[in-house]
Amino acid sequence: SKLPYNPPPRIYHATLKRVLRKASSFQSISFGRFQSSKRIRLQISCAAKPETVQKVSDIVKEQLALSADTALTAESKFSALGADSLDTVEIVMALEEKFDISVEETEAQNITTIQEAADLIEDLVQKKPTAQAS
Amino acid sequence: MAAPFTLRKIGVPPNSANLTEARRRVFDFFRAACRSLPTVMDIYNLQDVVAPSQLRFAISAQIRNNAHVTDPKALPLISVSLVIDLLLFKGMEELTDIVDHAKQRHHIIGQYVVGEGLVQNTGSKDQGKSDFLKNFYTSNYV
Repeated sequence: SKLPYNPPPRIYHATLKRVLRKASSFQSISFGRFQSSKRIRLQISCAAKPETVQKVSDIVKEQLALSADTALTAESKFSALGADSLDTVEIVMALEEKFDISVEETEAQNITTIQEAADLIEDLVQKKPTAQAS
Repeated sequence: MAAPFTLRKIGVPPNSANLTEARRRVFDFFRAACRSLPTVMDIYNLQDVVAPSQLRFAISAQIRNNAHVTDPKALPLISVSLVIDLLLFKGMEELTDIVDHAKQRHHIIGQYVVGEGLVQNTGSKDQGKSDFLKNFYTSNYV
């Protein structure tokens, strides 16, 4: 498809990364033992799964109406992306709905970057009663 | 699933002391409204009509409409936080009415889904024409 401008090569890299990430997640679902070891390994290296960070980034992009090719890193601050405080609260509420969790006000005040949001979500998802599998 | 949220009927709380407390109340109201959204969609059967994110956007748009109420100099006799308290009271009243099923489905759709009244969306034929006619009803002086 011809675009009116030359897309930056970053897009292809980002989509390729996303495809590879999805492929790796398929692998982790089919082998249970590998999945648990992979999760333990991920917890040592970084606090939140890349899928969670990706989902958070998608919600942030949708909420702030950013174009699809805006590169969002895990350390991007919401205020730097043009969100005011009401936008931040709205993002937290959208994350509450998406991940089916309940975020307290004190916890929500500390969220300023995407990584912090993903960490908090992981924390709350793990704390949910195990009887209700999400 | 997260515990279902119930709107507690609190009596009128004392006026907020300063802008930061008023701000905190605005966010609390917004959170309460967003958490009541599943109930609202259930009561009025809005599942096929609108997504919760659109309703959240409508609520935040209404709050942003009044976001200009921050300049103390503009209201010399009334304190700014009193105005914000009053707006919050009206918002809370509206939210309570909606959750109590005191409104009907066409109210919700007309006010929050389609926009400021149903008339707005029928003006699609004139898009792209001059601004003069668009502003004709709003005021004499553009």
